[in-house]
Amino acid sequence: MLSLEHVVKQMGSVRAIDDLSLDVPEGMLFGLLGPNGAGKTTLLRLVMGLLRADSGRITLFGRLPPTDPAVPRLLGYMPQQLAVYPGLSVVENIAFYGHLYGIAGAELRRRTERLLEMVELTPRRKSPVGQLSGGMVRRVMLATTMVHQPRLLILDEPTAGVDPLLRLKFWEWFGDLRAKGTSIIVTTHHISEASRCHRVVFLRAGRVLEQGPPGELMARYGSADLEAAFVAATRGAESNSAAGVQ
Amino acid sequence: MSAYWIALRIVQEILRDRRTVAFILLVPLVVMTLVYYAVSEDEQGKLGVISRGTARLFEGDLVRALEDEKDVRLVTLPIPDDEADPAVIERRIREMLRLRQADGVLYLDEKLLLDRFDGRQGKLNLYLEGSRPTVTALVLKAISGAMDDLAAAMPVVIDASCSAACANSVNNKAMQLEKHYLYGSEDYRTIDFFLPVFPPFFVFFFTFILATVTFQRERLRGTLERLLIAPVGLPQVVLGYVGGFFLFSGVQAAIILAFVLALLGFAVTPAQVGSIVAVTALMLVIALLLGLTLSFTAQSEFQAVQFIPLVILPQVFLSDLIWDINAFPLPFQWLSWVLPLTHANAVMRNVLLKGQPLWQSWPPLLTLTGFGLAVLAALALMTRRKHALGGAE
Repeated sequence: MLSLEHVVKQMGSVRAIDDLSLDVPEGMLFGLLGPNGAGKTTLLRLVMGLLRADSGRITLFGRLPPTDPAVPRLLGYMPQQLAVYPGLSVVENIAFYGHLYGIAGAELRRRTERLLEMVELTPRRKSPVGQLSGGMVRRVMLATTMVHQPRLLILDEPTAGVDPLLRLKFWEWFGDLRAKGTSIIVTTHHISEASRCHRVVFLRAGRVLEQGPPGELMARYGSADLEAAFVAATRGAESNSAAGVQ
Repeated sequence: MSAYWIALRIVQEILRDRRTVAFILLVPLVVMTLVYYAVSEDEQGKLGVISRGTARLFEGDLVRALEDEKDVRLVTLPIPDDEADPAVIERRIREMLRLRQADGVLYLDEKLLLDRFDGRQGKLNLYLEGSRPTVTALVLKAISGAMDDLAAAMPVVIDASCSAACANSVNNKAMQLEKHYLYGSEDYRTIDFFLPVFPPFFVFFFTFILATVTFQRERLRGTLERLLIAPVGLPQVVLGYVGGFFLFSGVQAAIILAFVLALLGFAVTPAQVGSIVAVTALMLVIALLLGLTLSFTAQSEFQAVQFIPLVILPQVFLSDLIWDINAFPLPFQWLSWVLPLTHANAVMRNVLLKGQPLWQSWPPLLTLTGFGLAVLAALALMTRRKHALGGAE
């Protein structure tokens, strides 16, 4: 589904991605975890072709580079910001993104209804998005991201600023989407909630610190939850690099 | 004490935004400089004097009288001294006026003295460019001031065939001033000079503001990033923006146009209305492209807003909208050439005040189109470098 080989990206004086290699198999709910500044968003932007790697190779869907014209229709992206139009209603926002991807008429109406049902916003369908709560706007964003039924869904901090109950709901929806065949890459710094992923990567300073199924990583560090495993892995790396400096 | 920390925070933030600091310090200086040149130089008309035959005897007196007039500056016209054919001279005068080498030309032909001796008033021919009513008024005022001196310089008629009463009436008779307008007529009012440029100016002004702010919002909100990863090319984004703004700018332009047509002191043909619509539409597209492009270079909404006075103010002062560009020093005159409104104003006045068909203004139209294409190329280059969007972790 997605493969990165020795990818390097310098952002000003910072090496945001440092010789990073990664494979994301098809049909997986894949977690990209790390503290702020670890390089998660830069990595996603490289994958979507919004940034160009200084070196290394990125391929999507087995053979396509990120800049291939076929890629946009296969990708869905939900950014960190509340990137929808506040002056438009919920349905108008979904329809706008549907039209961008060439979906119209009865097919668009059918998909809109299904998505509204999924994100539980049918009663608010005509409300201007600017009048909705932050959590509701996130749900609108998920709907607009899914309207063209992408094969790969990229979610950048989708649960940021969302209350714990809704966060659970979001993870249920991600599970449902994956079950229907959508591959999902999700970044989060709510690390414990990523234990629902099939596989996670701990990123630190643009490098892969650890990767594997959550259960395996927890066992490796003798931790009761994923967050504790992440802290242990990060501290281990910090003490190794401190020893290296000395 | 809290006020101190708030003030300190504001100072720190602004100091770290170099573009804002430069803006705060430089813009007032630039505006004051423009105002200084715009209003400190009294407007003058350029006047040429040509005489032939015995009328040459009085050219010196007329020129001396005109030199005392503050409203005109005398210019020498490149018409050979030995050119005597009145038809050729008139053609050359019209050519000089068309090229704006003079705003008016006073032609004292060889019949002037003969008419006077025959007991007639004697006729002075005044050729006027005519498209700038304020300048035309200055030229007329200066000439009327100098006419008495010229009449006084004329030889006194003492002739046996003319009685004393007759001679007296001729000698005290003011000379007749026959006006020939290259463009327009005596009916042109000052407001008629400004009205034609209103539609492109207002459409440019408002479209630029709307485009700059809307696009910046799209960028900061993250929706632009979503557009760029969707299967949407730059031409579609630009076309979409043009289409979206066209409705509002179109309604706005229609209202301004109706207002202008109602106020203009002369009749306007359907072809002239079509020309106004075409130039206004071109200015809408240019304003939109410029707004989108400059939005890309701004890092914040505040920086984007700064572009509004930076783009609009020089065009208000330097595009011949209100003040004659010739009143400004050369560097400003060069700058005026790269301002789209300079060329739009020229086309509008050519069409409405000079009555020229649109195609005859092809040089400014070509420059405007070139300007639009150059901005489009810059926009295409910026959107190819998508990382210019910024905001990466």
